[in-house]
Amino acid sequence: MLKKRLIFTLLYNNGQFMLSRNFRLQKVGDLGWLQTNYDFSKISFSIDEIVVLDVTRGVRDLDRFCDSMRALAENCFVPIAAGGGVGDIASARALLRSGADKIVVNSVIAEAPSSVVTLAREFGQQCIVASVDLRRDSDGDLQVLTKSGSRPEMESAYAYLSRLAEMPVGELYLNSIDRDGTGQGLDLSLLDVLPKALTQPVILAGGIGNASHMYQGLTDNRLDAVATAHLFNFVGDGLIRARQALIKDGIALAFWDLDILSRLEVNRWRGIH
Amino acid sequence: MGTTITIIDYGMGNLRSVQNALHYLGVGAVISNSAASIASADALVLPGVGSFRPAMLALESTGLDQAIRDAVLTKGRNILGICLGMQLMGTSSTEDGVTQGLGLIPAPVERFSDRDGRKVPHIGFNTVTAAAQSQLMRGMQDKTDFYFVHSYRMSPLGLAGRVSTCDYGGLFVAAYEQANIFATQFHPEKSQTNGLLLLKNFLAL
Repeated sequence: MLKKRLIFTLLYNNGQFMLSRNFRLQKVGDLGWLQTNYDFSKISFSIDEIVVLDVTRGVRDLDRFCDSMRALAENCFVPIAAGGGVGDIASARALLRSGADKIVVNSVIAEAPSSVVTLAREFGQQCIVASVDLRRDSDGDLQVLTKSGSRPEMESAYAYLSRLAEMPVGELYLNSIDRDGTGQGLDLSLLDVLPKALTQPVILAGGIGNASHMYQGLTDNRLDAVATAHLFNFVGDGLIRARQALIKDGIALAFWDLDILSRLEVNRWRGIH
Repeated sequence: MGTTITIIDYGMGNLRSVQNALHYLGVGAVISNSAASIASADALVLPGVGSFRPAMLALESTGLDQAIRDAVLTKGRNILGICLGMQLMGTSSTEDGVTQGLGLIPAPVERFSDRDGRKVPHIGFNTVTAAAQSQLMRGMQDKTDFYFVHSYRMSPLGLAGRVSTCDYGGLFVAAYEQANIFATQFHPEKSQTNGLLLLKNFLAL
């Protein structure tokens, strides 16, 4: 049986990892901080997937982002999706060669849909994660925003997502700008605007503050995965305990035996090629 | 271990994660696009993220297809195909029109049918039922979770060899083992400790 997924999203900005609240960024620390304070390689054994987004406002430094990706991926045996301003084959390939398994696209969906087709033709549809940032406008209608939440799209959210469902993308990653970083829980009403004909798996992000919020998302049959980007809500062994609680509550999450690690007699190869 | 592993680079796919996993297990692995490196390796890994047609064209245009067949079929070197790598080892694929594969596994690759309402691609951890006497899944439970991400698969119907299966709107080939030819539709390098153990089993063959 296909398992549900628990995803952790890292927000990267010019060499630093960030907290985001309603898309306003706050610096947390660099990769060294992440490894020291978060023991990410250990944490990664409690999640099903990692998403790393370069949310740098303004000019992005892809080479530097790739360096961080390589360091991050070294001891993570879990799928990694990476993106942030990516729309062309060269950037996508650079990320895939730095440890990413999938490419996250967002603004390019609105700006140059044909580029999404080109990426899918090159790397396969399953390699493309379509990220969509949503916000409720003053009338309560859902609105799609691109360019790190700065540019409202004219199309209705339903029309945008219907068009997206027809594009060669492998997954949808929906994020609520209103709930982002608030810890108030997921906004499951975002799923009401999904087209009926949607065949791709759906990930929902924005608002997870505790394990019960994850439970609410993972028991909604329209969702395949939930994601949190909150570095502090699940610090220490928070994610490990959340995963255990979800499994205990009957959520079908994948199982792997951490005791196997000791049986692997790990002695990392450090030669030079 | 003095084994030399060559991870075949055909210009696509996430090669580094496979290399990371092998290094983690204490084995040196070279990422290479040279026929010489394929010829001299003790074992080969054919990884994969991407589309079948451009991948196969890349192998053919560089002559790596023949280097792989020589190493595997003539010299009897072990090969592990992963995801698209496994599919490339099949006879053909219907992705982007019909394309011939390496023919190391006697099965065609076809798209999942979405008639039964299952989502395609098939993405996430799913449970694999190990073939009897599976070498890749030695030391594991009969049913073990591995990470999949794919829209195309092989059917186990009429396929000889040790075939481990997974159910997603019908059974498909999750892992294949026959003589020196090994392949997984899932990503062992992305399947946490379950996958690390599988890779260790392959390295020990």
